[in-house]
Amino acid sequence: MSTYSDASGAIMPLPKIRRATGFGGVVPALAFVGIFFVAPVAILLLRSVLEPVPGLGNYAQLIGSATYLKIFANTFIVSGFVTAISLAIGFPVAWALAIMPGRLSSVIFAILLLSMWTNLLARTYAWMVLLQRTGLINKMLMGMGLIDQPLALVNNLTGVTIGMTYIMLPFIILPLYGVIKKIDPSTLQAAALCGANRWQCLTRVLLPLAMPGMAAGALMVFVMSLGYFVTPSLLGGTANMMLAELIAQFVQSLVNWGMGGAAALVLLVVTLSLYAVQLRFFGNQNPGRR
Amino acid sequence: MKTTFAFAAVAAFMAVSAPAHADSMVFSSWGGTTQDAQKAAWASPFTEKTGITVVQDGPTDYGKLKAMVEAGEVNWDVVDVEGDYAAQAGKNGQLEKLDFSVIDKSKLDPRFVTDYSVGSFYYSFVIGCNADAVKACPKTWADLFDTAKFPGKRTFYKWSAPGVIEAALLADGVPADKLYPLDLDRAFKKLDTIKSDIIWWSGGAQSQQLLASAEAPFGSVWNGRMTALAATGIKVETSWEQNITAADALVVPKGAPNAEAAMKFIALATSAEPQAALAKATGYAPINIDSAKLMDPETAKTLPDQQTASQVNADMNYWAENRDAIGEKWYAWQAK
Repeated sequence: MSTYSDASGAIMPLPKIRRATGFGGVVPALAFVGIFFVAPVAILLLRSVLEPVPGLGNYAQLIGSATYLKIFANTFIVSGFVTAISLAIGFPVAWALAIMPGRLSSVIFAILLLSMWTNLLARTYAWMVLLQRTGLINKMLMGMGLIDQPLALVNNLTGVTIGMTYIMLPFIILPLYGVIKKIDPSTLQAAALCGANRWQCLTRVLLPLAMPGMAAGALMVFVMSLGYFVTPSLLGGTANMMLAELIAQFVQSLVNWGMGGAAALVLLVVTLSLYAVQLRFFGNQNPGRR
Repeated sequence: MKTTFAFAAVAAFMAVSAPAHADSMVFSSWGGTTQDAQKAAWASPFTEKTGITVVQDGPTDYGKLKAMVEAGEVNWDVVDVEGDYAAQAGKNGQLEKLDFSVIDKSKLDPRFVTDYSVGSFYYSFVIGCNADAVKACPKTWADLFDTAKFPGKRTFYKWSAPGVIEAALLADGVPADKLYPLDLDRAFKKLDTIKSDIIWWSGGAQSQQLLASAEAPFGSVWNGRMTALAATGIKVETSWEQNITAADALVVPKGAPNAEAAMKFIALATSAEPQAALAKATGYAPINIDSAKLMDPETAKTLPDQQTASQVNADMNYWAENRDAIGEKWYAWQAK
């Protein structure tokens, strides 16, 4: 029997917690999911097929218009870019954090978290000021004589990618760190002893072991990017408008909830499918437990 | 102990979320310096006079407004909206009719009065320019579309709203009294000629930032933003040539819990003195025709209502009717 000692040091039996069994036990959880998740989505679905006229007109319009298809394409291209670059930058950072002495890594974590908690709008405006043609980066490069014409770093895909990657980095570093930290360093030693060179250690041992963390982080960044609003709106041009901005236009400005609902539902379906794929391939791979 | 705390929390929550009583009402606007000015010029004297507290909320969001009215759970009493939206929402039955036995409309600029709305303040799209950053400032819409004479980036309002399409047509030589119905194809063709030189602004602060940093040294901006920019010491030039006016409007959502207080609030907000005070603070023009007399001539000179000689009125009713169609074409063109 499990026990614990109370304040006076006496050994007490642990109070028994009765596990809720049967249907009755899951009712509160089901109600919660129903009210906060299923109902809003159902309303969204209903709106998208009932407004402004009943039928699948909104979906036909979404799929039939070159503009909306381009916005879908933009959304996936930008999210893909951001995810790939975040992974490429985030992996070495997570690795360095995992093998660093504890004190130093906690300082770097603090910096990471602080940047995450700083107001998003302020950070986006800061990038705007840095990246614009008359901004710090262009002025510096021109002052050093590296370029004679300012680079177009903002109001285009470059600006969106830089701004969003910066904001997404913590979301990939944190899960990756968790996974890499759990990898036993002796597996790498063992690989080296068996004759693996550095490259083989990385590609055949470290990367496969870190794969679940990479998949989880990449999925999180990709899905968050799909629905991102503020940064693309401020750092992007109009030629690479993303889906979230279109939805905001439908809902807030044009007050066309049918189209907004249809677009939001497409986004939701894509997101859930991606999640299903991730579960299918990485869902039960957990380095600690097999 | 825990139970007591929970009860207290629930009670507190209910007190906060209970519908406002007649001794308080909710005003929603767009935030920022404009709402600060509305609070000082309208809400404070209103509370002083009537004892009714005005709770500030915002930013105004048409989706939210529609949701409130549909759900019958309205918690805004007076809302500051754009003129074309007011015309549309009034027609769609989402607004209360205004009580003109409480609101005196005889002194209000009739351009901005409908059954469901009265003007809040009125603004102009003007040609703003950072004079320190360029050799010469564009004076007309044609200048602003002339990249040979005025090379460099120019900034325009990003959203589908009165302003940019009108400017393009005026630049292309359409006479001001022949603007409506808008020839969208012609406007987009004209806009195509400068598309790669446009940096879009999506909010007033961004337009100021673009002008001040000379990222886009000139463009079409709200006149009040130029007043604010000049106050920071930047050498700006504003051209009022064919300035395009539109107005914000004050409306009462259908089913507003304190409609009676709302009418009184609107009556005060649109009266001469508070309108003058708001104009002084924001650089936007009063919609009460008696307000100009209450301001010093120097301030009055800088407001859109003194620029009527070369003024072009955006047709809010036309926009209200064609909002969706224009919006669709607008975003399709932008995304190309």
